[in-house]
Amino acid sequence: MDEKTLKNIIEEVMKEMAVVGATAPAGKPAGRSAETPSTSLVITETGTAARGTNPREIVIGLAAAFGGRQTQTIIGLPHDQVVKEICAGIEEEGLSYRFIRLFRTADVGFIAHEAAKLSGSGIGIGIQSRGTTVIHQKDLPPLSNLELFSQSPLIDLETFRAIGKNAAKYAKGESPSPVPVRNDQMARPKYQAIAALLHIKETQLLDPNKKTQELRVEYR
Amino acid sequence: MALIAGIDIGNATTEVALAELSAGATPVFVASSIVPTTGIKGTAQNTQGVFQALTVALDAAGRSLAELDLIRINEAAPVIGDVAMETISETIITESTMIGHNPTTPGGLGIGVGITIEIGNLDRAVGGTAYIVVANKTHTFDDVADRINAVQGRIEITGAILQRDDGVLVHNRLTRKIPIVDEVSLVEKVPIGMLAAVEVAEVGRIIETLANPYGIATLFSLTSDETASVVPMARSLVGNRSAVVIKTPKGDVTERRIPAGWLQFIGDRTSEVDVDRGAEEIMRVAGTVGPIRNVRGEPGTNVGGMMEKVRVVMGRLTDRDPSGIEVTDLLAVDTEVPQKVTGGLAGEFSLEAAVGIAAMVKADRLQMQRIAHDMTAQFGIPVEVGGVEADMAVRGALTTPGSSIPIAILDMGAGSTDACVLRADAPARSIHLAGAGNMVTLLIQSELGLESMEDAENVKRYPLARVETLFNIRHEDGTVEFFDTPLPPHVFARTVVLHPEGMIPLPLRQPLEVIRQVRIKAKQRVFVTNALRALGAVSPTNHVRDIAHVVLVGGSALDFEIPQLVTKALGEYRVVAGRANIRGTEGPRNAVATGLVLAWEEQR
Repeated sequence: MDEKTLKNIIEEVMKEMAVVGATAPAGKPAGRSAETPSTSLVITETGTAARGTNPREIVIGLAAAFGGRQTQTIIGLPHDQVVKEICAGIEEEGLSYRFIRLFRTADVGFIAHEAAKLSGSGIGIGIQSRGTTVIHQKDLPPLSNLELFSQSPLIDLETFRAIGKNAAKYAKGESPSPVPVRNDQMARPKYQAIAALLHIKETQLLDPNKKTQELRVEYR
Repeated sequence: MALIAGIDIGNATTEVALAELSAGATPVFVASSIVPTTGIKGTAQNTQGVFQALTVALDAAGRSLAELDLIRINEAAPVIGDVAMETISETIITESTMIGHNPTTPGGLGIGVGITIEIGNLDRAVGGTAYIVVANKTHTFDDVADRINAVQGRIEITGAILQRDDGVLVHNRLTRKIPIVDEVSLVEKVPIGMLAAVEVAEVGRIIETLANPYGIATLFSLTSDETASVVPMARSLVGNRSAVVIKTPKGDVTERRIPAGWLQFIGDRTSEVDVDRGAEEIMRVAGTVGPIRNVRGEPGTNVGGMMEKVRVVMGRLTDRDPSGIEVTDLLAVDTEVPQKVTGGLAGEFSLEAAVGIAAMVKADRLQMQRIAHDMTAQFGIPVEVGGVEADMAVRGALTTPGSSIPIAILDMGAGSTDACVLRADAPARSIHLAGAGNMVTLLIQSELGLESMEDAENVKRYPLARVETLFNIRHEDGTVEFFDTPLPPHVFARTVVLHPEGMIPLPLRQPLEVIRQVRIKAKQRVFVTNALRALGAVSPTNHVRDIAHVVLVGGSALDFEIPQLVTKALGEYRVVAGRANIRGTEGPRNAVATGLVLAWEEQR
């Protein structure tokens, strides 16, 4: 990737941000750009999230902009498909799932930890809009984790399915082999700038006074 | 007063006993040490380990190398052991007759029989026939469920075979429930238009109909001849939670016996045995030829290759021509190795029969002399080679409180199991046998299908536990231990070995109890077999029963369960066996090194 492409990306994101800034009045999903696939996700907040008691559930914690201001991951995977794959992985193992959204922080570790603490099984998944994902357990320190998928550009739909599957297996007390994670030295330099910008977009939606919300997630 | 060091170079460890001797007084042991042996026992590389072990002991005693008056090294037991393993059976599926893998999450329940049909061709299916749908990975679970729901009613669909891991997902979306087998990786090889049966059992249960030849016969209306031909198939499906059997004109499952070849034992007599007949028969024949001078394998067969490998390894280690290497003992053990089924559609594994062999060769007696010579030149201290290793071990073992002549010792090391009997009125009798700690590691590794030798070594050495939550583990005996701080996340929900430096998770799916049984069985098959073999050989009457007391020494006597297993087995012969405690302080270690020092004292 040369300087020119990098500039293009930054310009593109800056442009979007300007659009977002202009049409900001919340709630309305703002399209990223013309070629952004519109998501079929309809996410509604249904009140403050409560601690679950069902030992068969996995709680999925979404970052502030997931499926709302942002509709795709850093490599363009639509958020509805991401959610669908994670849920399919959980369902295939015979477990159920529940969604929450955090406004206190955009740190994926803390999102996942909060999800785990609210989960009846003690297992939670945290996911940022750009795709970074963590599987967490309620008794672990927030900065630890069961499995971390830190390189968002390398996470494809198959991996999301496997993440859901593994989270469910941990909840069942089985010993899943960790999801294979690809590693690419070039991912960091190639995507660092855009990742930073996407993160800034996420943090703009933070509200330290807003409690974690229970979500209803539907497909249009 | 003299400061002398007894040094025992073993297959796995080098041990030092450091003692001060003054005329007329009993030797005063001032320090001992143990380090891993460098290089193969009996070769020049050993010197480094010896130097390190000496330094550790001298430091502990606060002495310097220059103060040392004499070093005595063992005349190594003239044996080196090696282990090898070869499968002797193989399961082959021809013409895709069955799918017998065990997906963790199949869908539905029950049994369905019908004609296989590709999901894309459902429109063309005719009513009045039962069908089993085959879907490859291009079809998502929504798609598969929608298509089946759409035709259900018009045609009858009784089961499904999927390539993706979607069994439960499809099942949850169907209006009429059917058994579904998923994760069939080579689904394109499933024959289309053939009669097939799909069976899925409840969670925690195993299939009953397809694992029963008469069950298959009932479903497919087979004749008695045809029923006989499905027996191997039914057998290979035993224990699965789900399975598919497809009736193809020619298809079959066979268990092929790989011609393993014969072994020839050359002793006072010469005798041959077919490896196919199993370890027990091999060991029986080995016992009939008197002292074994050499063992040959049939050229051009698996066992021939195995023996050749042993000879080449030994030849390289001892710097000799491989063809001149004589195998002087052999321990064969029956085992089962998980192997991929040839022709399987879903990456099925089957447990195949295998035989593990530990072999031992006579090494050059002059080698230790050479090492002694090298060491004298290097350290500038006189180095002499002490007596026969087994005699030294007996002398060392006699320092165990409560022991006395007559005494038998059983030295269980890494490469070989040795025994020696010392009576007041007769010369010591000793024997070296192939098969010890390394053989156990090999059996554990192959039976559990472990990739790394290190994991197998850990399973062998340390007890297991299951991490149940981040705050508690359940030990292999069922007791629970709690922790105040959460355990590291990488051990969560895993079976771990309790290594002294922390828990190590095992990359295994088997339940803890299965792993434990594999470990115990491996130890029994090697050490109990060899203990009885060795003691029988050195007993004055050739019966184990006629040895009263046995002292266990050597590295494997340190194991947390091997001494118990051996003690229990010997108890059946009314033989009292127990772990040595050399000099009352060293446990089962340091017997030879201690014996070397004591022997010098007596020589003077």
